[in-house]
Amino acid sequence: MSEHTSPRHHGRCLCGGVTFTAAADPIGARMCWCRDCQYIASGSPTVNVLFSEDALSYSGLLTTLRLVADSGNTVERGFCPTCGAQMYSRTVDPAGTQPIRVRAGTLDDPSLRAPEAHIWVDSAPAWAIFNTALPRFRQGPGSERVD
Amino acid sequence: MTYSGSCSCGGVTVSIEGEPAAVRQCWCRQCQKVAGGGASNNAMFNTADVTLSGDLASATWTAASGNTLTHWRCANCGNPVYGQSSARPQFMTMRLGILDPGHRLAPQAVIWTDDAPAWAVIDPALPAFARQPPPPGAKD
Repeated sequence: MSEHTSPRHHGRCLCGGVTFTAAADPIGARMCWCRDCQYIASGSPTVNVLFSEDALSYSGLLTTLRLVADSGNTVERGFCPTCGAQMYSRTVDPAGTQPIRVRAGTLDDPSLRAPEAHIWVDSAPAWAIFNTALPRFRQGPGSERVD
Repeated sequence: MTYSGSCSCGGVTVSIEGEPAAVRQCWCRQCQKVAGGGASNNAMFNTADVTLSGDLASATWTAASGNTLTHWRCANCGNPVYGQSSARPQFMTMRLGILDPGHRLAPQAVIWTDDAPAWAVIDPALPAFARQPPPPGAKD
């Protein structure tokens, strides 16, 4: 999260206590159905817009929580301690290997980048609906596909 | 006990005796903010049927409907637990993600589709409401 000028994209939590800017365009987007994400997303997949981590700058008080994800990586989730809005997840171990996942709902324009894949679909509930034009990975990106 | 659940850190647990009055998927802009970008999925249980334990934190805002909505989450891990509308204190809308798998509850309707992004994947077999739906049990 370094210094950049002229942010290209903006976002915030529900109450405005946390704001952020992105100095670069997203590099991807996907929906994640892992069980951890269903907890975070009130039963839906999280919808994540991927950015290079050094393009993002967050302001305001964030609560962070580090857990070992289904991938085996240690992932930090950030949320606003006032309104509870889920802001992002980022992989802290192994560090520097993954883009930061910005929750699409926190972007001023949640349509900025449409999801390009469904991941962890093996964990999805029976009622889950998929865009079948998109690749569906049983686990993480690049895992076995459901076709 | 009909349904049970807990947040991902285990700090909050819930048990419910009874069936929900409705299960809905909500795409309002506020739900997108608190639900990780997608819709929230909510089972409306009678408040009297729900037993919660653990530390909860809340935030209150004016919902898209104009009602006051209180959003409850685990005070530790932040997982959404339930919402409650000032217009319907007799219901607690439990977030489906908090319930233990195997419950077979699924959205029966989709609401506030006017706010859904173009990429939203919405079940075409479900009734959809552009904005606020009629209350559960209302007659046409």
